[in-house]
Amino acid sequence: MYIAGVARRLSGHDGVRGDAVEVRIADTTVRAFTDESIAAAALASGVRVLSRSLKYHRPRTFFCLEGHCSGCLVRLGGVPNLRACQAPCTAGAEVVGQNAFPSAEVDLLGAVDFLFSRGLDHHTLMTSSSVLNKLANKVVRQLSGLGKLPDHAVASLPEVQRYDVDVCVIGGGPAGLEAATATARAGRSTVVVDDQLRPGGSMRTDPRTGRQLAEATWQAAASSGVAVLARSTAIGFFPEDDGGVLAVSAPDRLYRVYAKQWIWATGGYAVNLPFGDNDRPGVIAARAVGRLLVDHGIVAGDRVVVIEVPEVTEDATALSGALAAAGADVHRVALHSVVSVKGRSWVSGVVTDRQKLECDIVAVAAIPAPASEGPRQQGCKVVLDPPAGGFKVVVDELGRTTTPNVWACGDVCGYLGPAAAAADGARVGANVIANF
Amino acid sequence: MQPVMDDEDESRADVSGEIRLPATLEGSGPLPQQAEIVIVGGGVMGLAIAYYLARRGLTDVVVIERGYLAEGASGRNGGGVRQQWSTEINIRLMQESVELCRRFAVDVGVNVWFRQGGYLFLARSQNEVARLEKNIALQNRCGVATRMLEPKQAKDIVPELNLDGIVGAAFNPSDGILFPWPFLWGYARQAAAMGVKIYTQTPVVSLVARDGGGYDVRTERGTCRARRVINATGAWSPKLAELVGVKVPTFPIRHEICSSEPLKPFLRPMVSELASGLYCSQSMRGEIVGGVTVPGHGSTYAMGSTLEFLTTYARRLVRLMPILGDIKVLRQWAGPYDQSPDGNPILGPAPDHPDFFLACGFVGHGFMMAPIVGKLYAEWLTGGTPHEIFSRYRLARFTDGSGASQPKEDFNIG
Amino acid sequence: MAGKIVLCRCEDMTLADLEHSVGRGYKDIEEVKRYTGFGTGPCQGKECLAVVATQLARLCKQPPATVPPFTSRPPLAPTPLKLLARDPGAHRFDDDPGDD
Repeated sequence: MYIAGVARRLSGHDGVRGDAVEVRIADTTVRAFTDESIAAAALASGVRVLSRSLKYHRPRTFFCLEGHCSGCLVRLGGVPNLRACQAPCTAGAEVVGQNAFPSAEVDLLGAVDFLFSRGLDHHTLMTSSSVLNKLANKVVRQLSGLGKLPDHAVASLPEVQRYDVDVCVIGGGPAGLEAATATARAGRSTVVVDDQLRPGGSMRTDPRTGRQLAEATWQAAASSGVAVLARSTAIGFFPEDDGGVLAVSAPDRLYRVYAKQWIWATGGYAVNLPFGDNDRPGVIAARAVGRLLVDHGIVAGDRVVVIEVPEVTEDATALSGALAAAGADVHRVALHSVVSVKGRSWVSGVVTDRQKLECDIVAVAAIPAPASEGPRQQGCKVVLDPPAGGFKVVVDELGRTTTPNVWACGDVCGYLGPAAAAADGARVGANVIANF
Repeated sequence: MQPVMDDEDESRADVSGEIRLPATLEGSGPLPQQAEIVIVGGGVMGLAIAYYLARRGLTDVVVIERGYLAEGASGRNGGGVRQQWSTEINIRLMQESVELCRRFAVDVGVNVWFRQGGYLFLARSQNEVARLEKNIALQNRCGVATRMLEPKQAKDIVPELNLDGIVGAAFNPSDGILFPWPFLWGYARQAAAMGVKIYTQTPVVSLVARDGGGYDVRTERGTCRARRVINATGAWSPKLAELVGVKVPTFPIRHEICSSEPLKPFLRPMVSELASGLYCSQSMRGEIVGGVTVPGHGSTYAMGSTLEFLTTYARRLVRLMPILGDIKVLRQWAGPYDQSPDGNPILGPAPDHPDFFLACGFVGHGFMMAPIVGKLYAEWLTGGTPHEIFSRYRLARFTDGSGASQPKEDFNIG
Repeated sequence: MAGKIVLCRCEDMTLADLEHSVGRGYKDIEEVKRYTGFGTGPCQGKECLAVVATQLARLCKQPPATVPPFTSRPPLAPTPLKLLARDPGAHRFDDDPGDD
């Protein structure tokens, strides 16, 4: 593993990082803070945990820092395939990489990436003779898989907890927290399910809202009587038990949530853009750069190239300004002008149709893709709308989806940005109340 | 047997979308006005039959699939291929099918990642042990090397097992697991290269018997006059058969299944527990793929997922292999077991419909049987002698009184 | 020459792989998913479904609104078996040892 620091912590952020702790990441003891995720701490400390991709054995690392892309899978506490960006830094935490890059296998098989520059159809590979095919089967099986079995069996199995509420809001970002605050203030028992380390959603990634607004909005919801389940993920809506049950997984148990009204406020995923070698380590979501800066006080790199699309110009402007104010050198380029990125195990630059830029980090500013898997499972109609980010939930003017008693608000209905999403959440929350 | 169509890495669509390979599926355009054989159902059974027919020179074949390729049970199963059965006919059929699966990648030119790691069945009662021993004796007589194991021996093969409550096991090392989808791509591609026309997203709207034989197969992409029709619609066979007044007494049972995150290879065989119908195996991608039989649910075509399945599966699996407690489920889905009244399939023509053929009722093992059944069907329909399965498993057995004398398969599991 | 354009990070699927699938006639989003493997990895399509569907619409020259998503299945995030095993809704077979 390398120690090559491109990132640094801002001193002005001290005091809201939590307590200082030591964690071990890939055989290196690093200084971290309890409010940081393992991934953030690794980046800030210059420890690069690189894995390799399944087919072409390319170096890979985190991308979204929001627990959705699976670029940051590590082995933690003897358990495989855990997301480093959702693992809090606790004293003595021990993190090991998986499918490590570089490794002996990769030095040989990395040729695959080079030889098959236009891609490889693994369906037809090595089918010309049974001897070759047997070999192919053996090799593929040995290379398959991400992590190894856990070190230990589980000591005890947790009980499942039941939650009965009037309103269940899935997503604790600006839209979800505002919607929940509205329904709770009107006297309806309300629970918010949020999958991040701390609620606040995109407010924690945007310099215009800032960490303070995230904390304040969360506080306002809690003070209004909203029960907030943090680090909890809605894993499925199952039409069993009359009216259906929402299964929610938390670090220590499963919840069965039964509600009269459901509000999806899951926002959008920070996704990549299509350009050459866009999977290179160091190419990360602009929103991830924003999260590091705004929530963690970490500058991801001092030489940043932002690759953006027109729909998110304002967001990119805000982020670029904040990075510059923190002392970073920022270049912005339009997606259509990008030819490729340079670098092997980490990005070293960007080639556009007019220039070659050197950088430590590429921040990809794409339109967040509506996180509509949950609504789809509840039978809600979605439609592919690229300028809105992807498969947005179809809602009427009140915020109702096509499924009875199911509502949606915020970016999951099409990208709005944090300020507009908050207003949308408040509006829909009021409509849900009117529906009771 | 060499593939008709070999792949070249250079022949791909370029960035403008211009296609340089002949496509496998008929993207647009109407059905041909007539065909010697129309196969309704583009799952593994229909495509295997089409492939083997074309191989034997009968290429005037049209395959009509109502959904996307792999939408039915063929795309939803766990890829298990075993010879451990309780009837001689099934054992012998599967011995041949295993051989065809073993050769598939080279014969058809598409990787199916067939791995013969064996099947390990676990018994939790003396009744189950007796059942296994009886079946093993028959399998051994047929030349299948299954043997009975002590629990400790089972743990030698799968060290992760918790032996509490296990009293015995059966193991056949030559049973295996494969990846289902490539069978469809492979059969389809080779069949299409030989002239078979394959249509997806094309439901059959009506089926009309013609005077003098044959059928008009009507769809929204036109009507095809078929001299013979093969009903390869699996669990949906009764619905198609109904269109011509044929009653097929099968019914769908939903079986759910799930897969885990990919792990480094550790699990050699498919492991199954008779008491609950639990089964799991490690795929070529490293995922643990498995299911369990959740009792108390009736017949349904609905293929949604339940929390009850997920939790029942988790409970049995964590008890059986405790080290998996921290392993994560990635996705669950479901597929129909096509249940027949006597647990045996339905093959051959329908009574009073000599040109309407059936291939259903496989009760969850149609996928592993498809290569051999496809081959036998093709041999017969191109002028060969029909194999005994076409008379033994005829639909008429349910009405002509001969059904009760057939040995029932009692090992319809995973 | 420009490097690989990766659409699905988990399964290492590139734009060229998508073009190849379409070239073979597999254009339905469910067929593309199975043939290329996109959306079948640990993220189950969160990062890639929107971009693949958009590129698919472009390659097939059809309006994006006509491309459906692939079926959304639970669990919506990888879920450890241990959290599910004590659920009261899990069926208890006759030989179930009970909870401690």
